[in-house]
Amino acid sequence: MKGFKPSAPFLLLLPAVIVLAAVVVVPLLLSLYSSFTPFRLTKPETFFVFVGFRNYLSILSNSDFWWAFGRTVLLLTIALNLEMLLGLGLAMLVEKATRGQRILRTLMMFPMMFSPILVGFQFKFMFNDNIGLVNNALQSLGITRDAIPWLIEGHLAFIAISIAEIWSSTAIFAILILAGLLAMPKEPIEAARVDGCTPWQTFRYVTLPFVMPFAYIAMTIRSLDVARAYDIVKIMTDGGPAGRTELLWTLVARTAYSDGRMGMANAMAYFSILLSIAFTVYFFNKLAAARTQIGAEW
Amino acid sequence: MDENSSARLKRRLLGIVYRIGLFLAMLTICLPGLWIVLSSLRPTVEIMAKPPVWIPQEISFDAYVAMFSGIGKGGIPVIEYFRNSLIVSVTSTVIAVAIGMAGGYAFARYRFGGKSSVFLGLMLTRTVPGIALSLPLFFLYVRLGIIDTHFGLILAYVALNVPFTIWLIDGFFRQVPKDLAEAAQIDGCTRWQAFWQVEFPLAGPGIASAAIFAFLTCWNEFALASQLTRSVSAKTLPVGLLDYTAEFTIDWRGMCALAVVMIIPALTLTYIVQKHLVGGLTSGAVKG
Repeated sequence: MKGFKPSAPFLLLLPAVIVLAAVVVVPLLLSLYSSFTPFRLTKPETFFVFVGFRNYLSILSNSDFWWAFGRTVLLLTIALNLEMLLGLGLAMLVEKATRGQRILRTLMMFPMMFSPILVGFQFKFMFNDNIGLVNNALQSLGITRDAIPWLIEGHLAFIAISIAEIWSSTAIFAILILAGLLAMPKEPIEAARVDGCTPWQTFRYVTLPFVMPFAYIAMTIRSLDVARAYDIVKIMTDGGPAGRTELLWTLVARTAYSDGRMGMANAMAYFSILLSIAFTVYFFNKLAAARTQIGAEW
Repeated sequence: MDENSSARLKRRLLGIVYRIGLFLAMLTICLPGLWIVLSSLRPTVEIMAKPPVWIPQEISFDAYVAMFSGIGKGGIPVIEYFRNSLIVSVTSTVIAVAIGMAGGYAFARYRFGGKSSVFLGLMLTRTVPGIALSLPLFFLYVRLGIIDTHFGLILAYVALNVPFTIWLIDGFFRQVPKDLAEAAQIDGCTRWQAFWQVEFPLAGPGIASAAIFAFLTCWNEFALASQLTRSVSAKTLPVGLLDYTAEFTIDWRGMCALAVVMIIPALTLTYIVQKHLVGGLTSGAVKG
């Protein structure tokens, strides 16, 4: 019998696996368990009462939860699509520039340096109905006479949050798509032009397929961290007015820390985790497919 | 008008449209940040003024002075927050990069079964929303007595950063040709020596940028920090920002000043890192 000799990659990955198991997987198992109990922070003994799927059932019949869930999905769909489109536009604008590209690229990355919580605060300040930049500008330009209640009216608050979210994350798309545009060989574009393609056709059938993997990398990175919108919403409206901008994450935080209903909050948290995983796996597969399409090795 | 000059006119018009578009785009990107910097330097009266005062009448550093002058004089313990942020971010970055280097090297250089599912599995741990993770961590940390400590926050941040540093560092090692390390081994280096003397220096700049990226993640993190810390001894800057909000009022100017303090290190580091970051994320996206 030979002794067990672990392989090199196993040993190299071991520290990562240990840390992630200790800080992510084990706590998540704990929270999975407590999602089956009526655990309250104020009553520790409730941790050992098993209630089966009661938390999940009461969530499923809770309309506030479903509104928050739907709103979260809506926000992510709107934000990710617009970020992708605006990022593509921005990258193409910058790529076209003949002079000062370095400066432009740095300016373009400006929002990436802002912590989400800063973004939230900054847009809360700008959208303030009384002293905010947006209303001041609109009133000075004579577009509106009354102050628009940006963060006070439900729909407007949702729009304001989407704008903040898009502002903060478009840069990631732009910078990665720009990397794709710069890495792209020039011959296919010239060949397409010689063959008589219109600029639109060249873009649609030559440039876009080449750039797509880069866009999916950006999507994957973003989807790894979609929950950062929590910071923005927490600061800008904290779920208000009257729960009209409540997202899954703010709802989880409120249920857990304000109401102290940990068991319920953990059950909700599992929905948010599944949502994040769904987004990531979706884009990860897209990325793999796009890579194969242009013949890259993985 | 002959065809030539009309084409020229059209081209010039397009050029102008393009420049206006570029200018507007850049303005939208930069304005919110600049507005914060400007607001931190103006007296509160001007910020609150109705009708708005567009051009600042006087510039003062009062907000910064007040911020550093300590509790009770309109200040917050910003130096302590800064220290906490720095300790937590630097320590967890160093650990996360060390772990990420081992993992990234494994993904870049070895073939093993289930490689892409292991990779995806590691990435998925990153998708767990901070707030969802904070619930069990909060509970565990209270039990273990490491709530509101640097150690607890560092531990959480290491786990937060490891998946992403692995991704980035994997990309950087892929860019280093395999042949170089093999050549070094033929010349008598051990694999260990080949790594430190050939591959590590070549991937060095990339690893440095992975480190900066990890640092920025910690520096900016809020969802976990806001639940796992509660006193001056462990609160970080993003959590400290909330000190400026009271039940119904917000000290806008003070907040703007703290925002500027937070953003300056981030700005400098991102500027340094930008080129390598993109390279690391996209390597392997196309052939070559």
